[in-house]
Amino acid sequence: MTSSGASVSLAASPMRTSRWLSTYAVLVYLFLHLPLAILMIFSLNGSRFTVWEGFSLRWYAEAFGDQELLESTLNSLIVAVTATAIATAVGTLCAYALWKRASRWMAAGLALSLVTPEIVMGISLLAFFQWIFGHFDFRLGMHTVVLAHVMFSVVYVVTVVLARLRTMDPLLEEAAMDLGATDWQAFRRVTLPLLAPGIGAAALLAFTISFDDYVITSLVAGVDSQTLPMVLYAMARRGANPVVNAISTLIVALIGTLILAAERLRER
Amino acid sequence: MTRPRLSSGRLRAMFLTPAAALLAALFGIPMVILLAYTFLTRGAYGGVTAPWTFENWQRLADPLYAGILWKSFAVAAAATLFCAGIGFPLALFIARSERHRSLYLHLVILPFWTSFLVRTYAWMFLLRDTGLVNSVLLKLGLIAQPLPLLYNYGAVLLGLVYTYLPFMVLPVYATLERMDRSLLEAAADLGARPLQVLWRIVLPLSKPGLRAGSILVFIPCLGAYLIPDLLGGGKTILVGTLVQNQFTTARDWPFGSALSMALMGVVLLLMLPLARKDGAAGGDLL
Amino acid sequence: MKRRTFLLSIAGAAGCSGRRFRLNVLNWSVYIPPEVLRQFEREAGIQLRYSVYESNEEMLARVMSGNSGWDVVFPTHYYIRPMREMRLLARLDASRLKNVNNLDTPFRRPVWDANLEWCVPYMWGATGILFNSRLAPAPTAWSDMWQDRFQGRATMLDDAVEVFGAALKTLGRSWNAQGDGDLRAAKNQALRQKPLLRAYMNAEVRDQVVSGDIASAQLWATTAQQAIDAAPHLQFAYPAEGFGLYADNMAILRESRRAGLALRFIDFLLRPDVNANIVRGCRTATANGAARDLLQDEIRALPTLYPPPETLTRGEWMATSPLSVQRLRDRLWTELKSA
Repeated sequence: MTSSGASVSLAASPMRTSRWLSTYAVLVYLFLHLPLAILMIFSLNGSRFTVWEGFSLRWYAEAFGDQELLESTLNSLIVAVTATAIATAVGTLCAYALWKRASRWMAAGLALSLVTPEIVMGISLLAFFQWIFGHFDFRLGMHTVVLAHVMFSVVYVVTVVLARLRTMDPLLEEAAMDLGATDWQAFRRVTLPLLAPGIGAAALLAFTISFDDYVITSLVAGVDSQTLPMVLYAMARRGANPVVNAISTLIVALIGTLILAAERLRER
Repeated sequence: MTRPRLSSGRLRAMFLTPAAALLAALFGIPMVILLAYTFLTRGAYGGVTAPWTFENWQRLADPLYAGILWKSFAVAAAATLFCAGIGFPLALFIARSERHRSLYLHLVILPFWTSFLVRTYAWMFLLRDTGLVNSVLLKLGLIAQPLPLLYNYGAVLLGLVYTYLPFMVLPVYATLERMDRSLLEAAADLGARPLQVLWRIVLPLSKPGLRAGSILVFIPCLGAYLIPDLLGGGKTILVGTLVQNQFTTARDWPFGSALSMALMGVVLLLMLPLARKDGAAGGDLL
Repeated sequence: MKRRTFLLSIAGAAGCSGRRFRLNVLNWSVYIPPEVLRQFEREAGIQLRYSVYESNEEMLARVMSGNSGWDVVFPTHYYIRPMREMRLLARLDASRLKNVNNLDTPFRRPVWDANLEWCVPYMWGATGILFNSRLAPAPTAWSDMWQDRFQGRATMLDDAVEVFGAALKTLGRSWNAQGDGDLRAAKNQALRQKPLLRAYMNAEVRDQVVSGDIASAQLWATTAQQAIDAAPHLQFAYPAEGFGLYADNMAILRESRRAGLALRFIDFLLRPDVNANIVRGCRTATANGAARDLLQDEIRALPTLYPPPETLTRGEWMATSPLSVQRLRDRLWTELKSA
């Protein structure tokens, strides 16, 4: 592919997607989605086992009738939305501050939290909550789950946003301030809009991690705050259960639709 | 007109405070508690009790645990390399796409809306002797006997790479997306072929993203226990499983805490030279 | 906190409404069919919150704080003493249980709680071998699992007590042998077996035996029965050298403020008709003698769960281990896995 030096449009630049790259991407997407496809296919299987026995929607009906499943899905969504909102806000501000001038304590603290295995973080949080709850009559519940999720999400938000900030030109803000803006205004009107895709990516990552978390959540959840991964894991361990496939398919379909709708709105 | 220096510092401090408070309360204190545990004795059936002791740390000196740690590092490093190798071209593809970029990104994340446990079980279903992969290969006559695709390190790597790929793709994409196109055009104008542009300009410029992605993949892989257990068939033990065992089956919290602290210590040692290299920037990650 | 209350009120409104009393029950999975739970809710006018676990450790982790919110749990017999020592259990007043005499004779004064002060036996089981005779010659003893007759398609449980127990039986020792020498010998024996195994797996292996991936698996009788229900050509063997026995019991947590309701629930489960329904629905071996009498036909068809008494004499109730033994066993298990 030769370059066309005259044109400045991205489409004609040497960055035009080559066919190899496209084929490669297709293969990777196939790899990523193969288990998903399996789940979907077998959620429609009439038989409980891996032998195909005709098309059936009974597992979906069973999923909707399962009180525990519905409640845990709702819990997962609430926790994920709340934790993502808090973690993204806190994390973005923190990343910006670190970008301006590094703080060794902060960096060390964040790095440590990243380096901690989930089980260790979960146990330490459990010990901490129990210690506090010994003094007040609190119990483990949604609030402890949300706090735990915010805790482990923040460092991911900071990482992603900081990586993106590092590719940004600090002179842009300086230019704004030379033109009379305060640094808050510079942040809000220059940096933040440029950072928006990075923040979006960070929020998406945080939401995904939170929604899918099992280890830490199972340790700090209380009687009434079972999340979807906990219920799914229990069901999956008892053997191939097509209800698990059904609910997984439903979630993917729902999120997929939401994302598509969001895209349409954005492009409008 | 000079920048008012005072308010810059104040703003920065304000921005840093919420995260600092969060870290202190929900990470610092719990870790101190855990550190205290390493010096305590295991209760008769779990928990921790009085006598303060160095015993747990002494137990760590055993070569058995060093071997387990080494194996875990090797697996995590391999998974990270695969993720980088597989993920970078994909991130490149997405960053170069003129249309549908968000769609491609979302397609990467979409499988993640199903629980990773469910997806791991799906892989077990695919890889076992009577699973889809073997059945297809047998039908096509490419093999005579089912291949042992499950319950070995290969399956574990597959599971880890599969689970943590987005953690590599997203940061790398974020870096690539922001890359200055004019640099690439300039290179092309100077006669560089696309592969040269890739190797000499794009790749070095995407280092922050690759580094961030590598850390985001390596660490969880190191501490992973569900995926290695399920896909590895429980025939080998990695440090994640070892720690998990201490806190559950063995109910030896003090020793488990000591193991965790040791693990974190070694990883920090690894990351220290990286931090020093970037000096003033405070580390290439944070 | 407000969010949680809000959420709970939605869930409560969506579900059963109007019931003020509630009981929280934590049990093994597939141990009480939903219809039986609904029956209790109707008869007692109480709402049940029911959740399940897959292992005693999981249950212990959930209730260990002493402030977990659960009322009734189902520990396996060798966890009763530890839980007592951790002060997690409430004393039971067995005299308040009208149906307690329905228990089968061996369970009226069980070894782990002779006066039924802390728990009431519920279901029992044993560890044996689930196998597919179409794929390999049928095993009849643990030592068969040490032979290379399954082309690598064999598994053992991912549990130190179970694997070492079986190894000890092949060496002619007690399942519960706890001396240093015994455990080390067991580990070396297990090490000899490891290359022949496909994996160390728990209940997940059931589906793989059904599908034919695995020819022979160390497994609990209850799980094996589920596999046989799905694939009738499978069989279960109670090994010739002996095997481990366990019993799951109903117990009330000390933290529970609803001991009266909990006792009522336990009494309900002791009713012969209820217990028989549970056995029919979940396919388990019951400790309830009166229920057994109601199930004569079913029992004849379930040799896996209800073997002849002579077979059971070869079994040993699994014992609790002191701390030092646990440590050594755990260490040897790690060595086995890293080898």
